[in-house]
Amino acid sequence: MTGPPATCATAARNGAGVAVVTGTGALSAYGRGTEALLAGVMSGRPAFAPVQRFDVTRRRVRVAAAMPGQPALPTELIGVVREACDEAGLAASARARTALFLAVHGDPRIARAPAGGRRRLGTEELAAAVAAACGLAGRGTRSYTSGCVAASTAVADAAATIARDRAVRIVVAAGYLVETDQFALFDAGRVLADDGQVRPFSAGRRGLLLGDGAGAVVVERGESARERRAPALARLAGWGRAGDAYHPCQPHPEGRGLARAVRAALHRAGIGAGQLGYVNANGSGSRDGDPAEANALRLALGDAVADVPVSSTKSLHGQALEAAGVLELIVTLLAARKGMLPANAGFLGPDDACRLNLVVGEAAPAVPRYAMSLNCAFGGANTALVLGLP
Amino acid sequence: MTGATPIAPSGLARLQAAAAAAGLAVSAAAAWPESDDDRQVRPLAGFIVSTFSPLLAEVAERVLRRSGERPPGRVTALVIVTALGDVTSAAQVAETVDAGGRVGPLLFFQAVPNAVAGYLAARWDITGPVVCVGSIAAGLDVSRLLIDDADADEVLVVWVDVAVTEEDRDQAAAILAAGTS
Repeated sequence: MTGPPATCATAARNGAGVAVVTGTGALSAYGRGTEALLAGVMSGRPAFAPVQRFDVTRRRVRVAAAMPGQPALPTELIGVVREACDEAGLAASARARTALFLAVHGDPRIARAPAGGRRRLGTEELAAAVAAACGLAGRGTRSYTSGCVAASTAVADAAATIARDRAVRIVVAAGYLVETDQFALFDAGRVLADDGQVRPFSAGRRGLLLGDGAGAVVVERGESARERRAPALARLAGWGRAGDAYHPCQPHPEGRGLARAVRAALHRAGIGAGQLGYVNANGSGSRDGDPAEANALRLALGDAVADVPVSSTKSLHGQALEAAGVLELIVTLLAARKGMLPANAGFLGPDDACRLNLVVGEAAPAVPRYAMSLNCAFGGANTALVLGLP
Repeated sequence: MTGATPIAPSGLARLQAAAAAAGLAVSAAAAWPESDDDRQVRPLAGFIVSTFSPLLAEVAERVLRRSGERPPGRVTALVIVTALGDVTSAAQVAETVDAGGRVGPLLFFQAVPNAVAGYLAARWDITGPVVCVGSIAAGLDVSRLLIDDADADEVLVVWVDVAVTEEDRDQAAAILAAGTS
């Protein structure tokens, strides 16, 4: 099961339309806004620091990439959506016709709300509230909760919906802000890096660290963007989604599902592996996940894997869970447009199980025509998104 | 969670209506509860505290058993619909954290709804995309898109709604849907 699905007609994989990104908004531990995100990532300095936001004295690991203070998720989601819509130059009338796809873990209040009030705190209600506050349409607005592929799945769905001419424009937003419950769970699962650094694909890697992340992209039919004279920042050239069929929380060791997702995304983009100029890998820094991803890239890219530059920007901004897919897609887009590939921070030395052409040391100058962002989640869910740069 | 058990669960009816509206044909269906025998869902190894994952697995496996033998190479996607997610586990974690305790490691592995999707996928060779959304309408829209986009030949759609108050009861439903052409 490493090839394309046998009974799915590959001709159906490309819709008639072209989906482009016309606006981006972001928040990370580097600060609010895409400029802060790009500057932070290009600095090569990881944003990890001792957690001040809540009590971590009983935790094994006490580090995360969190911005100062107590940011509130709904407020920050509204902020990134507005930033993206402003960059896209969307008038109020256009926003009112645009649905929101929102990727979140859940309403942050639900776990501590009285039982009788929990039904009002669903993810659909949160999506509707954010859409309303941003002047977006209620109709078509929906929520995604598929863990670390929630946001990338929402982007793929938005691109597919637009390519199939079922919508002109969709705003995809996502957010996760480091909080006490998920921190406790990840600490209990012993997956957090106890040396305070994330070292994807590196010898001596010790695990992941959580990071604040929120992001929004305006995904739009290319024709619509041209009519509005809104510049396309990038094309959503390809997307792929596939499952491992392997385990509730471990990746397939050979990366089979991820390899199929990558192949599907390249197929949709109509490009060969050799045309990829950069991969922002899932690269969580975990012991088992990184080799599985390296295997997936070898399976899907073939000989080209030796040349395609790869880094995981989780080594800088941390693991933003449900927001990871949008945050990392935005990092990929910003980096490609700047002509600088982000460094894979924390690298101590090569691991034979993770042989890739890693960008190590500092950001490297390059102008990719195509760049890919990968995400993997529990349940063996994998996504690949390919951007085509103008 | 107990008490009167209606024979025609509303979740299944809503799934079937949404599938029809999306132009999808349903080849197998299941619900919880389906009869008075459906009082306590079977535990699922590795999943604790909450009935969310066991319920999801139970209705999904009922559908897969009823659908008969699936042709080799057929690509099935799994779409999970849940408005609140596993709120039982989430509340348990919050209570433990607020009391200054340490949460158990097993709760980490069920922290997102797609963990149980991995259990099902491994058991039934479900190799298509895994997606979790918050409404039945979105779930069937995504299903239609996955089929039209050739990412899946068929979609197993599972809706789960665990009880949040003493008066509530656990409900779940699942369908196997494919294009009509």
